[in-house]
Parts: sequence; structure tokens; C-alpha cells
Amino acid sequence: MKIKTLPTLRDKKRYLAIEVTAEQTINRQQLFNELLESVASLFGDKGISEINPKLMSYDGRFGIIRCTREKTQETRAALACINNIRRIRVSILVLGISGTIKGATEKFIQQTLIKESEPEKKE
Amino acid sequence: MSQFNSRFYDFNVYPDSSNSVTELAFEAKRYGYCGIAVVNSAKPGEDKLPVDFSIYRSIGISGKPSRLREEIKKHKGTEAILTVFGGDEELNRAAVETEGLDILLQPAQFNNVLAKAASDNSVAIGFNLGSLIRLRGEARVRELMIMRENLKHARKYDLFMILTSNAHSIYDFRSPREMAAIAGLFGMSKEEAVDAMSAAPLEILRRKNPDYIQEGIEII
Repeated sequence: MKIKTLPTLRDKKRYLAIEVTAEQTINRQQLFNELLESVASLFGDKGISEINPKLMSYDGRFGIIRCTREKTQETRAALACINNIRRIRVSILVLGISGTIKGATEKFIQQTLIKESEPEKKE
Repeated sequence: MSQFNSRFYDFNVYPDSSNSVTELAFEAKRYGYCGIAVVNSAKPGEDKLPVDFSIYRSIGISGKPSRLREEIKKHKGTEAILTVFGGDEELNRAAVETEGLDILLQPAQFNNVLAKAASDNSVAIGFNLGSLIRLRGEARVRELMIMRENLKHARKYDLFMILTSNAHSIYDFRSPREMAAIAGLFGMSKEEAVDAMSAAPLEILRRKNPDYIQEGIEII
């Protein structure tokens, strides 16, 4: 049985809510590979081990990326440097950063969806 | 982080055939900008723009150093923002020594003499982050080294710094926070990055205002 890490020894994490704008739909695997490639190109293998990026969820438009707490700026820079995935032009917008997946989903992704639907209600 | 509540501007947007200026404006608005300056293209009508968003006209000047001086003199005094794409030392020198220029973008081989001249003529130094986004490997290393050098001189001579995305299409925009993160790659602090996207562009706009005469003089 795997021994659980002590809470004080666990890595502190941050979750980035992202929105992907692309010419065609990008699948999960492609996005994650490109993210790793971008981090590797900017910060190298050591950088990847420190940032520890992981794609938690992605539905074709919104996604959540996990990174370590101290490296959010670096993660942002790596995300911003992604400009094409297999010749498909993309742009990634970070909606916000939160300490929990729930927080990132409720505060940023759902808020964006609500904001989008509001003008239609007025008409 | 309240520092990201200011109004942000991107002063170097090149609309090409794939996207109209209006589309670019809506996309920039979504990414959190309050205004963009389009280089060498016409402004669309006010009714086609998103609310609380402004578009400025900018003139990109390139060519031989001797032509450069003429061009700057010709457009000096108009409301358009004058931008010169930096190149070798001779070109940069011609640019910073001519009064009336607003932005010198990404000059290579920048040195203390040029920085002094830029400070005298209040020319802002532009950092083209679009190249960092688009390039990979060795080419990006070179760009980063140029930017590091320019940042050093800009700090020493207290020059205005401008961060631009050099966007050609709607996929080239990055939000202000991301721009600050990319600027952090070559050592720019968060405060400097915010100033380079809000305070410095506003300063240029203030100087472009028809009421502005000279530094320290105003009509009461």
C-alpha cells in the first residue's frame, strides 16, 4: 500500500482556468503535448520538474491546468508562448488562478459562460 | 492583484488580410485591452467598435536612415503614432536623433549613446513580445538577449518602455497578465510591465493631444 504524504510535505498547487481559441478543435493529447513542449523549450527539463504541469480537464474550449504554487508566472509565460499546435493557430487565455479545482471552475469558467449568455437575455 | 486594473493598450497591431480591424478590436477587448493602435491601416467607423474601446492610427516607418528622417519630419505633428522598426546601429541612431518619433521597436545593438539621445527626444523603447511567442530555439535566445540589453539601458536612462504583441491576426493577442509573464522572462518586473502597457502609452497619447505644446508648457 502506498503511504500517503503528510499534508505539510505535499506540494502546494495552483489551478489555472484557461480558454483555448483555435482555428479547429484541439484534442486533449495535442494540447498537453504542446504545453510540455513549450515548457521544455522555455525552461528545460529542470523547469518541467519544478513546474510539474498537468492538464486536469479540457472540453475543447475550457480547461484546467495544474502547476506548483511558486511557478504560476512561469506557467503563464509557457502558455502564452504556445501559438500553433500542428500548424493550427491557437491562442490560450488564462481566465484566472485558484487554489482548488472547484474554485477555478466556479469562479472563472462558469462566470465566463454566464457573462456570455447575459447579453442575449437582454435582447 | 490590483495593479492589473489599469487601462491597457497595445500599440503595434498589424491587421492583415485574414482579419478585419473590427474583428481585431473585439478580440483585443476580450483579452482585456482598452485600445489598440493599428499600423498603416485605416480606422473603421466608431459604430463598428466595441463599447469603451479606442483605436489609434499608427505609422510604421522603415527604410534607409536618410529616408527615415524625412518620413518622421513629414508625419511629425499629426495625431498618428510614429513607430520605427529597429535594426542596425545606423538606423537606430537616425531614429532616436530625429525629434518627433514616438516608439523605436526592438532595436538591436542598442548602446548608451543611443539611449541618451532617446531620452533627450523622449522616444520610447518598444519590446516586441510577438517574436518571443512565435520563435523557438536559437532565434528566440537572440531576441531575449537583445531585450535584456535594451532593458538595461532603458532602466539606466529612465526611458519609457512599451510592450507590444505585434499581432497580425486574432490568434496573436495575449492578455496583459500573460504579457507581463513573458516580459518576466527577460528580467522585467511586474510593475514595469504594467507601466509599459498602460502608463507609457497614455503618456504618448497625452503628447499627441493637439493641446499639448511642449513639456512643462500648457494653456491656462
